[in-house]
Amino acid sequence: MNPPSAVLTHHGLLTIEQKNHWHAAWISTVDHKRLGILYMLTALVFFVIGGIEALFIRLQLAVPNNHLLQPDTFNMLFTMHGTTMIFLVVMPVVFGLANYLVPLQVGARDMAFPRLNAFGFWIVPLGGILLHFSILAGGAPAVGWFAYAPLSETPYSSQLGVDYWALALLVLGIGSVSTAINIIGTVLCMRAPGMTLRRLPLFTWINFINAFIVVLAIPVLNAGLVMLLIDRRLDAHFFLPPGGGSAIMWQHIFWAFGHPEVYILALPAFGIISEVIPVFSRKPIFGYEFVAGSTVAIAILSFSVWAHHMFTVGLGRVADTFFAAASMLIAIPTGVKVLNWSVTMFGGRIRYTTAMLFGIAFLVQFTCGGLSGISHAIVPLDWQTKNSYYLVAHFHFVAVGGIVFAVFAGLFYWFPKITGRMLSERLGRWTFWLMTIGFNMTFIIQHFLGLAGMPRRVFTYPDLPGWGWMNMVSTIGAFFMAAASMIFVYNVVNTLVRGAPAGDNPWNAWTLEWATSSPPPHENFHALPPIHSRRPLWDVANPSRPDPVVGTHGVIDTISPDKNKTAIITFILSEAGFFGVLILAFLYYNANPQPGPGPKDLNLFKTGIFSLCLFASSFTLWRSEAGLHRKDHRAMKWWLAATILLGGIFVVGQGLEYWGLFKSGVTLSTNLFSTTFFTLTGFHGLHVCVGLIALLIMLVMALVGDFATRQSTALGAVGLYWHFVDVVWVFVLTFVYILPHWR
Amino acid sequence: MTTSQFLISGWSWNPIVIGISMAALAIYGAVFRGERRIWFVLAALAVFLLALVSPINALADGYLFSAHMLQHILLLLIVPALLLLSIPREFAFAQRTGALATKRARVCQPAAVLAHPLAGWLAGVGSMWLWHAPALCNAAATSKPVYAAQTISLLAFGSVFWWQVLAPREEDRLSPPAAVLYLFTACTACSALGIILTFSPVPVCRVYMHVQDRLGLLGTIRGAWAITPEKDQQLGGLLMWVPMCTIYLGAVLAQLARWFSLGRTTEHAR
Repeated sequence: MNPPSAVLTHHGLLTIEQKNHWHAAWISTVDHKRLGILYMLTALVFFVIGGIEALFIRLQLAVPNNHLLQPDTFNMLFTMHGTTMIFLVVMPVVFGLANYLVPLQVGARDMAFPRLNAFGFWIVPLGGILLHFSILAGGAPAVGWFAYAPLSETPYSSQLGVDYWALALLVLGIGSVSTAINIIGTVLCMRAPGMTLRRLPLFTWINFINAFIVVLAIPVLNAGLVMLLIDRRLDAHFFLPPGGGSAIMWQHIFWAFGHPEVYILALPAFGIISEVIPVFSRKPIFGYEFVAGSTVAIAILSFSVWAHHMFTVGLGRVADTFFAAASMLIAIPTGVKVLNWSVTMFGGRIRYTTAMLFGIAFLVQFTCGGLSGISHAIVPLDWQTKNSYYLVAHFHFVAVGGIVFAVFAGLFYWFPKITGRMLSERLGRWTFWLMTIGFNMTFIIQHFLGLAGMPRRVFTYPDLPGWGWMNMVSTIGAFFMAAASMIFVYNVVNTLVRGAPAGDNPWNAWTLEWATSSPPPHENFHALPPIHSRRPLWDVANPSRPDPVVGTHGVIDTISPDKNKTAIITFILSEAGFFGVLILAFLYYNANPQPGPGPKDLNLFKTGIFSLCLFASSFTLWRSEAGLHRKDHRAMKWWLAATILLGGIFVVGQGLEYWGLFKSGVTLSTNLFSTTFFTLTGFHGLHVCVGLIALLIMLVMALVGDFATRQSTALGAVGLYWHFVDVVWVFVLTFVYILPHWR
Repeated sequence: MTTSQFLISGWSWNPIVIGISMAALAIYGAVFRGERRIWFVLAALAVFLLALVSPINALADGYLFSAHMLQHILLLLIVPALLLLSIPREFAFAQRTGALATKRARVCQPAAVLAHPLAGWLAGVGSMWLWHAPALCNAAATSKPVYAAQTISLLAFGSVFWWQVLAPREEDRLSPPAAVLYLFTACTACSALGIILTFSPVPVCRVYMHVQDRLGLLGTIRGAWAITPEKDQQLGGLLMWVPMCTIYLGAVLAQLARWFSLGRTTEHAR
């Protein structure tokens, strides 16, 4: 079963040896379709692991006063279950689908950066292995998926579990950002002629917007994780109140990431549903513009409502009021989408395929989950129900009833395209009904358990009236879902062996991925249909009544920027988020002067001189780029060398400053000033060093004459990065060195 | 002074402010005779007077940081936006028409520099950050000339900021997707300041910590309104963080609506 190779061999593009290699080449592949499949297979493996963890949790809770599991083991299980399901199941599977489908939907041959794509994928198993290695290294983390400080700090979690947890998430976060950059690059730079930005299929549009959330939210978590690791490994006190730190700070950082993360998971699900429901209702989506626009609104609002996760912390009534209002606001664009999907179905000729059934179930269950979510925005209610099973029920309604159901809908919809074979509808219906019944058994009743007062994260509970049977129902429901999943896996395996062939377009769908063979050939398309509207295949099938043409007003619709620069600018956005958090942390921790070393121990004069070198290097690099532009390669090389020299002087200057501080006994763990100072300037220094390496590579390329022989935008891209690093230093110099003297 | 007494007597009938409003209305009426967009001017002047004449001004004058913030938002984001909207669409400012001929000429013109997106962005975000540096914030709340300079600069910078989005001529505006990015990043940068103000453990604007009770209002503020200086600063930060972001969000949605309605006329015209 390896159809792409069969197609290529058939066309005489592969020799026998190459074909054999092709079979073995899943490990070295940079093909977006194979990487997409690998993403999904990885997600499946971790889905099984996370699912078994969930079953153990439910078994332990099935009856009162149960002692199947130790309390500690229980804590580890729910921590691993949450972390696995979010970071190793849902994120990989939605990235996998995006990887497979976005290039096909925009009519591209591959993603913008195939090798970066492979990197982004292989990071996922690495992260998964790191996380699970903690089990061998003295015990899995037992601090919950949000690892609240100070529980996650060394005095309370002395084993290595949290370290592996933080490392795994850091690594996974880097992979996610690289994938998001790739998706943005693909959508902006790789679209087929005619596939303008306003003609994008909604799945692609939503993944495109989602990629921006990933790019901006993940670095916030990464900053928090490095701070946590610095606390744990280098004895700092970012989040430890006894050392002057703030445990609440961790919550702010985590939820500033965590709330956008909810949408990172949910938006791709919306994208899937926006494809599945129209196709199986035989109608175009109702209000494309509203679905597309509300996605942007959700993306922006998702960054400003995180504090509703913290009502019980005690932010004060003023803050609670604002965030309650903002949180209710975000229900509007989500509600708009639900309306669009419902009206799309209204009056359509609905085909109740398994994919559509999952789509309809998504609609119902996600709406319920959304409504219980709004109830959490009501502050007094939140005080009562936070940390109860009501909350557990709410987010499982969103995460399973919403996201997992949408993913199932997407898998049933696109499986024929990916494998060329039709999943069994009969088994699909078994999966659907078992899943839906099991899901509702498991989680509807948890609302009542929560309202009855059952707290979350307890390993067992006393035999209170009603608690026993309700928990038993919940556990039985979980096993229904397990059965449904097993039937699905059997369905997949069975279909791969003896499934019915699918043909190019089994559902009579309208987007470009259905315009090629199933599975698509290595190069995706032999020829593309003309693209004038949002449903090009409808136009081909119904030439007498095509969709209205979507105009190409102005250049912006057909924009296709340079992909190197696009990627670097996106990366810079992400890095700005990372440094933004570090700078905010510096300001917060140094708002009040503290005993021990402080900004007055820094030598502003010396640092000023080294800073001038850094700023001058931006100028020299600009001259170098100008030289390249004029094709004056001598000038370009000399200015480039000067840039590297100036950057090197800055790094040496920083090193001397560090050396001086170390000699006078100031280290990373001395006080919060030294901690924040070394963290901020250290990470900036690291970025300067990375920039220097990139510049050195440019210089070597220039010396061997690479720039002379071909047009390359590499220097411009590296230049943008270098200028950004300099701009960051402007802020660091202002906030760390200059402003404290003014107070 | 009780709340109702304050609402009656707290108006600051500043002749300069009212004079400027009247003059602006007169000039608009003279230049754009019979223009229906005059409603935007009237709205702009209403908001302008709300910020500088109504009791908000009295509160911002040394009593409440949050009232100062409200004033700041109205003057930077609402008034200039409404004023730009009041200019008839496709109206060209005379001095700009010739300057666009060559790129070099464009860079040399100060007006052209202000019309650069980066300048607009920095004007919008920078005026927020700059006027909340502790020293400047205090100065604006204590010295009349600095306060006047602040008001003028907010209106001017606000106009430069909104020019990218609301300029009368289509070709002067950013394309909608670029405008979305422009507004979103500005929103993020202002939110960051709002976050700092909300959670800052130290007072940002010391004037509002030690109020000089000129009007005898302090008892009402601390008592009946229950606004402590800490709560006041938090309120100010939150105003900048949450409602201000919804202004940007509204503008983003307007840009998306503009984008999706572009080229509608070519429907069925294959």
